[in-house]
Amino acid sequence: MFWTVNNALLEAMGTTLQLFALTLLFSLPLGLVIAFGSMSKWAPLRFLSRFFRVPGIFKGLAGFRPIHFLVDVVVWIIRGTPLMLQLLLIYFGPGLIFDNNIWGSGNGGRFVATVAAFVLNYSCYFSVIYRGGIEGVPVGQREAGQVLGMTRPQIFFKITLLQMVKRIVPPMSNEIITLVKDTSLARIIAVSELIKVGESFMKSDGLIWPLFYTGVYYLVFVGVLTLLFGYVERKLGYFR
Amino acid sequence: MSILQVQNIQKHFGNVNVLHNISFELEKGQTLAIIGSSGSGKTTLLRCLNFLETPDEGRICVAGETLFDAKDPAAQKEKEIRRKRLHFGMVFQSFHLFPQYTALENVMLAPELLAKEEKDFKSRKKEILQDIRSRAEDLLRQMGLEDRASHYPHELSGGQQQRVAIARALAMNPDIMCFDEPTSALDPELTGEVLKVIRGLSQAKTTMIIVTHEMAFARDVADRVIFMDNGVVVEQGEAREVIDHPKEERTKRFLARYSAEGSMRT
Ligand SMILES: Nc1ncnc2c1ncn2[C@@H]1O[C@H](COP(=O)(O)OP(=O)(O)OP(=O)(O)O)[C@@H](O)[C@H]1O
Ligand SMILES: [Mg+2]
Repeated sequence: MFWTVNNALLEAMGTTLQLFALTLLFSLPLGLVIAFGSMSKWAPLRFLSRFFRVPGIFKGLAGFRPIHFLVDVVVWIIRGTPLMLQLLLIYFGPGLIFDNNIWGSGNGGRFVATVAAFVLNYSCYFSVIYRGGIEGVPVGQREAGQVLGMTRPQIFFKITLLQMVKRIVPPMSNEIITLVKDTSLARIIAVSELIKVGESFMKSDGLIWPLFYTGVYYLVFVGVLTLLFGYVERKLGYFR
Repeated sequence: MSILQVQNIQKHFGNVNVLHNISFELEKGQTLAIIGSSGSGKTTLLRCLNFLETPDEGRICVAGETLFDAKDPAAQKEKEIRRKRLHFGMVFQSFHLFPQYTALENVMLAPELLAKEEKDFKSRKKEILQDIRSRAEDLLRQMGLEDRASHYPHELSGGQQQRVAIARALAMNPDIMCFDEPTSALDPELTGEVLKVIRGLSQAKTTMIIVTHEMAFARDVADRVIFMDNGVVVEQGEAREVIDHPKEERTKRFLARYSAEGSMRT
């Protein structure tokens, strides 16, 4: 029996791992884009301040930054509601609202919807961490690049990026470890991840230990990640 | 003709006028020291020259070319500013070396990035990179740092870091080198090595602007001195003339305070 359970859990672990990896693959870069959005200084109404030297409403309008505003609202909504709710809305929403289940039927569709919800959710959290990391790099670094004639992309990729990465390893490792366990939320729309499969033995065979046994899988997974983060931290320890 | 002409620069932050009508000229090969009490606008002036701040009014010309004119906003596009910046080199008070690169890499980074944009880079890659490297090594040698080339900034003393920063700025071959209080962040025993390097550059006829509180150094090394107070140029002239025989009352008071402090310290 142990091996039957173990094999089933191993397969479920595959689904969990895929969800984990795909979420990271898309949300790590998307988070950076969102971070730039929330730092956007674009203020199309800035010209107003030239015409109206009086403070007040015009000053407010002139300082209005639409991209920054929009991004901050999205991040607020995503961080302000449970991932489980977002998952349900993303999976069932199109069908309920537009009478059109864009995710397709069956396991494949469920999985894709889950990845979409996770990517959206996690990229918002990552964006905040990224922004903190970027803002934590002293302005002097950027200015030193500027006076050497570097372009903005060159300054970001050659100077800021690595310093940011070094700063964000601890908060990112927290978030990524949380992601490992959040993958279990996918069972709410019947994706066969670890917990769901572990639980299924309760109904089919009256066994409770497989559910608790899934904890070992999570522990091992997080253990490996912890080692990995330690390695990255040591790798980046060559500078201060 | 002067290599640098600064005409009527004005700059305000909010309601505070930080620079009023700053005008001066600098001859090629000369060293200009800017002195003045804290908050008088010296840093802001250097930042304007390096396009880190945009003046509200005025013109900046280098070698006859107008780099900045407040009346011509079209010329202030990011892309153009970038090339114009290269006329100036900037050494900051607190170095701002890139911590993830070695001393040598700090010096080579910007020249490499610039070279990569040249059309013939691909075909002559090896040769170009080799040139940049040997030039960077030469500069570090000139700074007395040949044995520190592969050290990271945190492995260097403040004086060494500042000398790497000087090499890094020189590597772009600027027409005019700007130093903002290059020794103020250093322990007293480390200022000497940095001042020595700057003195060497001055003797080699590098055109330089140095903001400094080291009066003796300014008197010794600079050809000209500008004394600023409260955002205006109060007095300018030949270095020894201004420091030994100031004409304006404010300059006299400032220098008197300095010599008093100086004698108290020693
Ligand atoms: N970004 C800024 N925003 C608002 N005010 C500023 C800014 N930068 C400088 N100032 C103000 O401008 C004035 C001139 O500052 P600046 O740094 O140019 O002086 P300084 O002569 O370099 O002084 P110090 O000798 O202390 O370095 C100061 O009153 C300062 O408070
Ligand atoms: Mg200053």
